[in-house]
Amino acid sequence: MNDVTIHLDSSTAKPVQPDAKIDVRNLDFYYGKAKSLHGVNLAVPANAVTAIIGPSGCGKSTLLRTINRIYALYPEQRAEGEIVIDGENVLSRSVDLDDLRRRVGMVFQKPTPFASSIRANVGFALSHYEKLSKSELADRVEGALRQAALWDEVKDKLDHSALSLSGGQQQRLCIARTVAVRPEIILLDEPTSALDPISTARIEELLHELRGRFTLLIVTHNMQQAARVSDKTAFFHLGELIEFDDTSRIFTNPQVPRTQDYITGRYG
Amino acid sequence: MNWILFRRRVADRIALVGAGLATAFGLVFLAWILWTTFANGAAAISVKLVTEMTPPPGSDGGLLNAFYGSAVMILLALAIGTPIGLAAGTYLAEHGRHTKLAATVRFVNDILLSAPSIVLGLFIYELVVVPSQHFSGYAGALALALILIPVVVRTSDEALRLVPDRMREAAFALGLPRWKVSTRILFKAARSGVVTGVLLGVARISGETAPLLFTALNNQFWSADMNAPLANVPVVIFQYAMSPYDAWHALAWAGALVLTIFVLTLNILVRLVARGRKSA
Repeated sequence: MNDVTIHLDSSTAKPVQPDAKIDVRNLDFYYGKAKSLHGVNLAVPANAVTAIIGPSGCGKSTLLRTINRIYALYPEQRAEGEIVIDGENVLSRSVDLDDLRRRVGMVFQKPTPFASSIRANVGFALSHYEKLSKSELADRVEGALRQAALWDEVKDKLDHSALSLSGGQQQRLCIARTVAVRPEIILLDEPTSALDPISTARIEELLHELRGRFTLLIVTHNMQQAARVSDKTAFFHLGELIEFDDTSRIFTNPQVPRTQDYITGRYG
Repeated sequence: MNWILFRRRVADRIALVGAGLATAFGLVFLAWILWTTFANGAAAISVKLVTEMTPPPGSDGGLLNAFYGSAVMILLALAIGTPIGLAAGTYLAEHGRHTKLAATVRFVNDILLSAPSIVLGLFIYELVVVPSQHFSGYAGALALALILIPVVVRTSDEALRLVPDRMREAAFALGLPRWKVSTRILFKAARSGVVTGVLLGVARISGETAPLLFTALNNQFWSADMNAPLANVPVVIFQYAMSPYDAWHALAWAGALVLTIFVLTLNILVRLVARGRKSA
């Protein structure tokens, strides 16, 4: 346990990395009385892909749900500590949740298209935030669908129901919907776990393209995926951050035995 | 054959026959009621029904004023009750979701849902009819709205709560404010359930007699004045069925038939809407 904390420098507050977009400090999380995150410290670099891996129930999704405070929909859930984004602690009471969630987009495990047209799915939140003319809106919808690599498949049926799309297309639609409002950060919670291998490959290509423009934080239970898509990888176990390093190092030369055991498939 | 297997099979047969007989017992009365209504009502159906007013004793006529009065009061009750019911249902399912207040309101609403309609009629009688010193179509519509509201509250609350949390999370994750998430995204997802609730509510109020007896009363003549006593189908049926005149009996049967067909059509509509929900 001790070697872990030393490695993470969590006890002696380490200087914030200059390029950290999200700085998680001493984060504890509770579902009712059950504590599911224990003193997490993590500096997520800007405009890169950071993967979070770990066995089921290790707290990786919980961490993600804390960053855009979606957990606040459920009164029995609470977070303690700090999550600093651009110098502002977003766990503070004074933060406007709608504004935070516009800046921090989220893509979920299961595709969740709204029961309306493809166009409306992408344009809805957009037209809530910005006064756009019809043609500007159309341009932004097209731009978002192109960014999500979906445009060519749906350009002739923008007014069809989003529910008529395949699972993989629906998930790319959800990504389009998220990038449309131009967030700074995108959280992805196992975005490909409900998809077939071909759709998964398309989403992974997409992550490559979005990288550099957004700060991406992806939770995955698929270690190959983490190795393929991310620059940095964080390994969680039982609600604690065990190791955080460059992805290549985590997968070739992990410093902590527990990471090594997980990577090599000894548990998880 | 094994004795235990034999015993089980006999028990199964007995249960099956018992359940079948109970079902048949219920259905026989339903079929009987429908048959009587259709047989007596169909004989009394004519063009006069929708061209003439309710007649005085001894002559024949139609139910035009009663149809009109019922239609207007039901529409007004819908116009009052639907927005209030939807707003309250949205509060229970979304805004107040985790609060004790919502749980309490839901409980009280369930009591209101099963309150005898005559009580609601008397309530409006005391509240509106007595102070204004006359029966009126407005009072009737208000009484019907009071019966409609708990139905709409209950069904919209349940329809919204059936929308999976991940839909809610996805909408909030875009940074949309709560009212927009409810009205523009969750309502769309729950649409068929909400429409079903309103249709069932209309079916419920269109046959209500007791609350109208104390509020709209009745009117033998043509009147479109909502501020005066207003003719309506259920009360006309009630009065004519109790009368000693054959012409009035025939009109009561005709009114009953039209009302039955209306409610039946609404229920079929509800089924169609519900089927749409499954395929969506």
